[in-house]
Amino acid sequence: MNNSFARLIDGMCATLRGEVLSRLDDEFARGQVFGVINLLNTFKVRADWSTNFLLAQVDAQRQAFAAIDALLQQRGTTAAPALPAGEVPRPVTPAELAALRDDGNRAFGDLLAWLEAQRETLAPALVADVEQLARACMRTELDLELKYASRPMFAEMSSGTETQAKP
Amino acid sequence: MNTIGDESTLAGRIADYLAQQVGAAVRVGAIRRFPVGFSWLTFSVPVTGLPGAEGTQELILRLGPDYGLFAPYSAGPQVQAMRSLEGSAVPLPRAYWSSDDPAILGAPFLFCEKAPGEAVVPWVSANQAGLEEGYRRRLAEQFVDVLAALHRVPWQDKPIATMAHGITPANAARVNVEHWETQIQRWAMRPHPLAEWGIRWLKAHCPTAPHVAIVHGDYRTGNFLEQDGRITSILDWELVHLGDPHEDLGWASLPMYMGGSKLISRLAEPDWFYARYSEKIGFEVSMASVRYYQALSLLKLAATHMAAARCFEEGRFNDLRMPAMGSQIAACLRQMEKTIEAAS
Repeated sequence: MNNSFARLIDGMCATLRGEVLSRLDDEFARGQVFGVINLLNTFKVRADWSTNFLLAQVDAQRQAFAAIDALLQQRGTTAAPALPAGEVPRPVTPAELAALRDDGNRAFGDLLAWLEAQRETLAPALVADVEQLARACMRTELDLELKYASRPMFAEMSSGTETQAKP
Repeated sequence: MNTIGDESTLAGRIADYLAQQVGAAVRVGAIRRFPVGFSWLTFSVPVTGLPGAEGTQELILRLGPDYGLFAPYSAGPQVQAMRSLEGSAVPLPRAYWSSDDPAILGAPFLFCEKAPGEAVVPWVSANQAGLEEGYRRRLAEQFVDVLAALHRVPWQDKPIATMAHGITPANAARVNVEHWETQIQRWAMRPHPLAEWGIRWLKAHCPTAPHVAIVHGDYRTGNFLEQDGRITSILDWELVHLGDPHEDLGWASLPMYMGGSKLISRLAEPDWFYARYSEKIGFEVSMASVRYYQALSLLKLAATHMAAARCFEEGRFNDLRMPAMGSQIAACLRQMEKTIEAAS
């Protein structure tokens, strides 16, 4: 794929609006199309091309460079240009990151339950301070969610009609 | 699994059922699904041959599919509420036939009258012009008066009394919080510690209700029809229950339904709204209770979005509006936290 992910999303949304909705009369079907547009706009701010195929391409390059380097050294050639070498670093997958985040959130839930159970024995200031720190982090998580979200299109989805400026 | 079938199959089943009910052959025309509603399915059903009706009569069919957000559904609560309110000052469509037997139409259902009018959309952008002033005021007055009338209905001798389940002014809030806590446990696909924190706060700050009333549960712009500035019908009784009347005030005043304005449900200035409601209902609105129920309403909205996300994830349906709804959980929880912060 040679186009950018974001530009493709914009193009798909424009096509749905300009070429599909303009020829579609059924209200429910129009609501579904707005649902698709809403989701595509979310993908635009949250997603990008999968790294798997890029990793495979870079892996193939590294194997080739290693083989070429070995061959050149074997033949006594020392003036060749420097080639990229070494293991390609493995990025953490989104699933692994989501599991880490969920573990963290589970720990916050357990912490809140513990604070409540210990409320009689812990110093009130300590309870308040721990709760403030936990809540600040929970807020940050939500703020990040919101930063990477598209404008909700409930009006369009439930009416099947364009109601405001396009995002 | 979709047990309802396509629209022509459904039309045939409707014709058979209605013929049995009225004892005469009826003809069902092309049925049309409305895009409104994110839980029960709503169809317009043109029926010819109903006794007492001249020509073709449009009926509204509401179906609660087994793959829906809060399935398994029952038409019971909606029907009980609608029957309990017949003859009251609350305008609503007349309920005709209903059943929870999925063998009939593939899902629990309710047929009711098609009321005249259009819905006012609650979701608009801040830069969109507001409603015309005179029109807005007329709607706002009725919006408040109808709500007060609903909350004044003596329900103890009405069909809806079967939903009381020991509810009292003292336990109404706690019962409600526990219900939505259970929904979150059922639907959340991952831990939401801020929701847990919110539930703890709500349980620790339960207000006592002024009395137990019929609560609509989703009272807002978008869930009534209007014609020429007159509210003709209050719709969508899916979340009706008995509880604290402040709950409907909290829900109606959520920022999500203000359409970028500072008006409750795009209609009413808050101070005027609460003052008029107090006057009509006969008790002073507790702003502490309103804020409490705003926080609970935001938790309830977050739970609904969690249900939407899970149902889609599990492949129960492919309605693409559901994952879009599911992306709004964070917005609800963030707003809930702000509301609790302001109330504390």
